[in-house]
Amino acid sequence: MTPVHFSFSSAFILGLMGLAFHRTHLLSALLCLEGMMLSLFIALSLWSLQLEATGYSAAPMLLLAFSACEASAGLALLVATARTHGTDRLQNLNLLQC
Amino acid sequence: MTYLVSLFLFGLVVGLVAVASNPAPYFAALGLVVAAGVGCGVLIGHGGLFLSLVLFLIYLGGMLVVFAYSAALAAEPFPESWVDRSVIWYVLVYLIGVVAVAGLFWGGWYESSWVVVDGLKGFFVLRGDVSGVALMYSFGGGMLVVCAWVLLLTLFVVLELTRGLSRGALRAV
Amino acid sequence: MNPYVLAILIASLGMGTTITFASSHWLLAWMGLEINTLAIIPLMSKQHHPRAVEATTKYFLTQATAAAMILFASTTNAWVTGTWNIAQLSDPTAVALISIALALKMGLAPAHFWLPEVLQGLDLTTGLILSTWQKLAPFALIIQISPNMHPAILTALGLCSTLVGGWGGLNQTQLRKILAYSSIAHLGWMIIVLQFAPQLTLLTLATYIVMTSAAFLTLKASSSTKINTLATAWTKAPSLAALATLSLLSLGGLPPLTGFMPKWLILQELTKQSLPLTATIMALSALLSLYFYLRLCYAMALTIAPNVNNSSAPWQLLSTQSTLPLALTTVAALALLPATPAVLAMLT
Repeated sequence: MTPVHFSFSSAFILGLMGLAFHRTHLLSALLCLEGMMLSLFIALSLWSLQLEATGYSAAPMLLLAFSACEASAGLALLVATARTHGTDRLQNLNLLQC
Repeated sequence: MTYLVSLFLFGLVVGLVAVASNPAPYFAALGLVVAAGVGCGVLIGHGGLFLSLVLFLIYLGGMLVVFAYSAALAAEPFPESWVDRSVIWYVLVYLIGVVAVAGLFWGGWYESSWVVVDGLKGFFVLRGDVSGVALMYSFGGGMLVVCAWVLLLTLFVVLELTRGLSRGALRAV
Repeated sequence: MNPYVLAILIASLGMGTTITFASSHWLLAWMGLEINTLAIIPLMSKQHHPRAVEATTKYFLTQATAAAMILFASTTNAWVTGTWNIAQLSDPTAVALISIALALKMGLAPAHFWLPEVLQGLDLTTGLILSTWQKLAPFALIIQISPNMHPAILTALGLCSTLVGGWGGLNQTQLRKILAYSSIAHLGWMIIVLQFAPQLTLLTLATYIVMTSAAFLTLKASSSTKINTLATAWTKAPSLAALATLSLLSLGGLPPLTGFMPKWLILQELTKQSLPLTATIMALSALLSLYFYLRLCYAMALTIAPNVNNSSAPWQLLSTQSTLPLALTTVAALALLPATPAVLAMLT
């Protein structure tokens, strides 16, 4: 395992743990998703740079476009949740519990 | 260079710890800014200047501004920073966890590379990543179309989510 | 919703699944999954009701997390082995991660908690899309990587899903939650046989889609989302009420109906692989599911609601809903068992 591999893997897993365990705000969850996407961007870029697969450098750009779409959809959901529930706290999303 | 890139990699992990340890969104956005900044540094250290520029301009310049704006809208009177009691424990646990896992792999590190791209740069006019991204406009045209389509789709998704009927507590339009 | 926007969304919904089907590269498969998720979000929160928005938020968070995990696992695989091909996923860490991610995306049992809540917040048409069309893309991926997956993970996921699907549905009175738990149980049946006979997984998926479409369309035709509304379903469409009990029993897997076919073949396959204990647990957990299907049948066929609803029998009124899909799926959900040899010959 190279240090680069370890770094982006631990960055991704930290973002995943942050998203999975303790979120009070929806915005914090979206920020954790963004952090995961950032580490994926760095991972794809470094993969193409280290393997000299230069034709692959387009993949991080595509990833960036898709993560931008995901982030904007998440922020739109933040707005919609704030309108219907009055707040962006995740504890308030409890209308559908069993 | 090796020390600098190692420092940047460490900074990336610390930035994600700062995001993941559940501070107020205000500070989490700050942690993400730091992580994106050192991410640019990592990419420069590996020779991906154009990708680093894209990360800096698009990510920091575009998306994080929007996130900082949303964080400002959702602001609280007393935001929890990383030294608050509810957050500091998570920071410590995550840092110790990362160090422990790194120690687990200790001795198994191999320096495959601080190889930078353009090992063959005597033969090329452009940098490797620039020509690679430029491929998106010739051979990768299909992917470009897909990306354009999904951006258009997102426009409609955001439109349909945020405007709407008179349901819910707060509804301006 | 504007019909043009609706057309764009439906087209993207189809395109996302098609891209995932057609791709041999993990990045493109991930793109297809993302397009799928983005396209269904406005359909889910169409009514802007607080419940719908909440369900949409939960769905978005889980699906985005699962998609990111898929891409991370394939990046790990590419970092170790150097290939992005879907069929050549061989790094054990990546395979385990991707199994968990796909389980989260489909709603298999240890990662199933989002599915009943999300389904409860939707209207029946969107719920139908969610529980049929949205399952296809993850299944395309999981079938392609199934030769490299660890058998213990698959068996654990399958057993856990069938048991949780049976147990979770027992205490529910909301029909959409019951259908969500039935979906979890059927997914468990599909996963348990994946390592032995992937064509049986496809067969189970096809029959499940037909049967659950029949169930969702029946509920939509009688506009009932709770058990006690089912008791007045016969006033709305008497023949449909009689057939609906049969399609529910077909979901439960009783012999002369279509639902028996996949369960029969899967149990046979498990016995052939000399796994009698697994087969027994699967068969017993199907009994748990059968209990709540039977309770629905009881409410539908054997009870009369204590109100004067039958004085104004609404079946006299002309319905504006299209009944052709309902008729087709109901017939297919009831009477496909004699086609078993043909289906088997086609799949093998």
